[in-house]
Amino acid sequence: MENIRNFCIVAHIDHGKSTLADRLIEACGAVTQREMKDQILDSMDIERERGITIKSNTVTLQYKALDGQEYQLNLIDTPGHVDFSHEVRRSLMACEGAILIVDASQGVEAQTVANLYLALENDLDILTVVNKIDLPAADVERVQEEIDSELGLDPFEIVPCSAKKGIGIVDVLEGVVKKLSGPTTNEGAPMRALIFDAQYDSYRGVVLLVRVFDGELKPKQSIELMHSDKVYDIEEVGLLKLKREKMDRLGPGSVGYVIAGIKTIRDIEIGDTITDAEHPAPEPLPGYQPAKPVVFSSIYPMSSNEYEDLTRAMEKLALNDASLTYEKDSSVALGFGFRCGFLGLLHLDVVQERLQREYDMSLILSAPSVLYHVFLHDGEKVDVDNPAYFPDPSSIARVAEPFIKAQIIIPEEYVGPVMELCRENRADETDFHYLSPGRVEIRSQMPLAEVLFDFYDRLKGLTRGYGSFDYDLIDYRHTDIVKVDILVNHEPVDALSQLIHRDKARNRALRYCEKLSETIPRQQFKIPIQGAIGGTIIARKTIGAFRKDVTAKCYGGDVSRKRKLLEKQKKGKAKMKIVGSVEIPQEAFVAVLRSDKQE
Amino acid sequence: MRPGLYLHVPFCSAICPYCDFAVTTGRREKRRSFAETLAAELRLWGESAARFGGAFDTIYFGGGTPSALEIEGLKSVVDAARQALPIAGDAWISLEVNPEDVSIETTKAWRGLGVRTVSLGLQSFEDSELKFLGRRHRRDEAEQAILRARDAGFDIVSVDLIFGLPGQSLESWTANLRRAVELGVDHVSCYQLTVHEGTAFARFQKAGRLVQMPDGEQGELFVATRGVLEDAGFVGYEVSNFARTDGHRSRHNEKYWRHVPYLGVGPSAHSFDGRHRWWNERELTEWTHRVERGERPIAGDETLSGAELALEAVMLQLRTSEGLDLTDLQRRTGIDVVKKNQALIERYRAAGMAQLDADRLILTPRGLAITDAIARALVLD
Repeated sequence: MENIRNFCIVAHIDHGKSTLADRLIEACGAVTQREMKDQILDSMDIERERGITIKSNTVTLQYKALDGQEYQLNLIDTPGHVDFSHEVRRSLMACEGAILIVDASQGVEAQTVANLYLALENDLDILTVVNKIDLPAADVERVQEEIDSELGLDPFEIVPCSAKKGIGIVDVLEGVVKKLSGPTTNEGAPMRALIFDAQYDSYRGVVLLVRVFDGELKPKQSIELMHSDKVYDIEEVGLLKLKREKMDRLGPGSVGYVIAGIKTIRDIEIGDTITDAEHPAPEPLPGYQPAKPVVFSSIYPMSSNEYEDLTRAMEKLALNDASLTYEKDSSVALGFGFRCGFLGLLHLDVVQERLQREYDMSLILSAPSVLYHVFLHDGEKVDVDNPAYFPDPSSIARVAEPFIKAQIIIPEEYVGPVMELCRENRADETDFHYLSPGRVEIRSQMPLAEVLFDFYDRLKGLTRGYGSFDYDLIDYRHTDIVKVDILVNHEPVDALSQLIHRDKARNRALRYCEKLSETIPRQQFKIPIQGAIGGTIIARKTIGAFRKDVTAKCYGGDVSRKRKLLEKQKKGKAKMKIVGSVEIPQEAFVAVLRSDKQE
Repeated sequence: MRPGLYLHVPFCSAICPYCDFAVTTGRREKRRSFAETLAAELRLWGESAARFGGAFDTIYFGGGTPSALEIEGLKSVVDAARQALPIAGDAWISLEVNPEDVSIETTKAWRGLGVRTVSLGLQSFEDSELKFLGRRHRRDEAEQAILRARDAGFDIVSVDLIFGLPGQSLESWTANLRRAVELGVDHVSCYQLTVHEGTAFARFQKAGRLVQMPDGEQGELFVATRGVLEDAGFVGYEVSNFARTDGHRSRHNEKYWRHVPYLGVGPSAHSFDGRHRWWNERELTEWTHRVERGERPIAGDETLSGAELALEAVMLQLRTSEGLDLTDLQRRTGIDVVKKNQALIERYRAAGMAQLDADRLILTPRGLAITDAIARALVLD
């Protein structure tokens, strides 16, 4: 057990986490050059394209160290985005140490800090690696100063490397062996293992990825999942060596997989503790938190006859994504769809892209929403994430919305504009301090709902891409939330309703009205497009009536042709949604709902 | 109403760039033999004439350019019709003519044949517009043609005009209308320029050399047309047709808008017996071969379902000043358009686009401008 090292790599996005993981795998001979596909651990297309890791993977490496001993290195790959900090936490719980990568030219960024805090919270040993030292812009000395002043880590303990060029890889492996602790166990304690991830295998069902703390796991053993209170019999255990490698047991301190006849990923909870059903542990492992969606949106198929396809796609997708929640939803305007809960905006993006790319679906997504706590006069509290279920305003005593603690790191010249941006986004308390000369950290408390809208894009724009951002949900605060309805010809279009702060309602409503008036074709009558809070109209646009739709000539030979033309025109309209007797093309919904992110 | 007879003459001296009718240029020999073939087709229909329900009381020569046929040819066709089919003694004969074919001799000959309406393919009184439209006459020829026709004593002198040319102003269009009124015509047909697939204009449009007038402006010209002609005392009795008095309406064309049976002969001509519609071969050579083989030259046919009949009735009758006969529609197709569309019809009324009189739904000029949309909404939605 003393020769086991359980560790993960954490880094700000794009600082080279996956590349370093690839080099470590290569250096340990777990894979031949020919099998080497860059960024082996990021197996999904989207991950590879975006250079981010969404779904964590794990690999066991055999390393013969310079001291002549064989080590078993369990590299637990973690997702690299703030949305997935929940998954990151679970992965960290399986480790004793972490490699913290800092980019030799970019230096310390918001997520470097956030990830370090997460690692320290979990009492992990830290090995600081400065990556990309081969780049012309690399400035190791400056980065060392930042590591000292901003992270409070020893700047002389760093390992410089270039994962891309393969420089310093052995130093990193030696660092892992020497600087990071091995696992410990309570001799004789009842068996406990942490489920830190799960995969779905179409032949074997759910494959649990586990870290054994005490005792051991063996085939035929009867196990209990302590939080979900379910019992299974183990069919197979083994190590994850890129491919699964069957073993006859998993001992204390080790990381591996368990197959136990579990049908779907919905049956288990990541973060749960496995114990022996016959000799159960009195307490599960500490630190369990169920995954909670914080962002909600309804997904509809572009064409309502694709609902069945969407259902199948959602089911398949959910097999691999335990964090995704969904339930059937329906809209008068858009038909049947699913109300989905996501861990964050990126998670939403990833799900949308996977549905489109892997399942070839054309989708319409409603405006994302957060979860509001609505307190009614009668003392009842309801949680609302869907404008459709927002209670009648007269029955509402108060509403609370989730706030985040945002941490923004920027070059100092952007302090003014970024403070202003925070203010525009209803920041409660904003302050800043210098991390090092020229670099400023802004801390701000603001509503999650504002961040969903366009905060990150605008931050990137304002700071020419230099701003980095991370957040943590902190609490719920009272707020003045209203439901804005969009009315087409005096009838509400349910899919376009949204919950928004009163101060921002008018602008948003006006923008929706403008988009609709640009995309809905002229109709037989003038059509008012309105934004309303309850019975009060706060924005208005008009679609003009079309002026002419008649064929000039209509004599003997024209009659059939003309009739067929009318029938054909009618068919062309079958794809439109009728609201308030107005034909709204799908493109109008797409244009309105897409404008959220682009503007 | 009694059935009508339509005769299609596909010849033109040149093909206009906007025209998508079955037309061809052809030399004199070809035209002579065409008249014989047309007569032969008429004889093929002799034994089925009864299905049209009575004697034909209108004969309409359309095209193409029927005036491109020599008088002997026209006469032989009329004679053949009278021999083969039950033709009323006072059948009203109409002839489409090109201004350049109107001379003292031709008008006299046409009158002699019994022609009572001449319909002049004028299109415009503006030389620049005529040139754009590829017409072979000029303003003075157009005006002279009207005067000659009037002098010759036809019961109805009608002119066709086209509006909605790219860049055409409201003034220029209404000046055309006023000129027609001043010259004393009895009937005006006004068509908006439409770019059809396969025409020269369609090619120009694709190449970016022709940009159609926007719908809004076309709508203005459409509404202005009614204003000018009705101010001059004309009756706008159909979307595109205006008569000096009710007596000057086109007796033949009204049959189309009322689903009255008609027999069409000649290439591409359509026929309708109240329930079935069929159409002839469009190509002159194919049509000729089949007639010469003693076959009816039918290229296609359809039997209208109740729903199709209803859609046609609505879209056709709404075009007329009499409007849609709701009782007749319900009797013929079982469809109660008003009951089905109460709210919608109320909105048309409120918007000044339609009125509901006893058992008729009648469109106002603003409603007429979007007749097709209204027909779709009433029947298909």
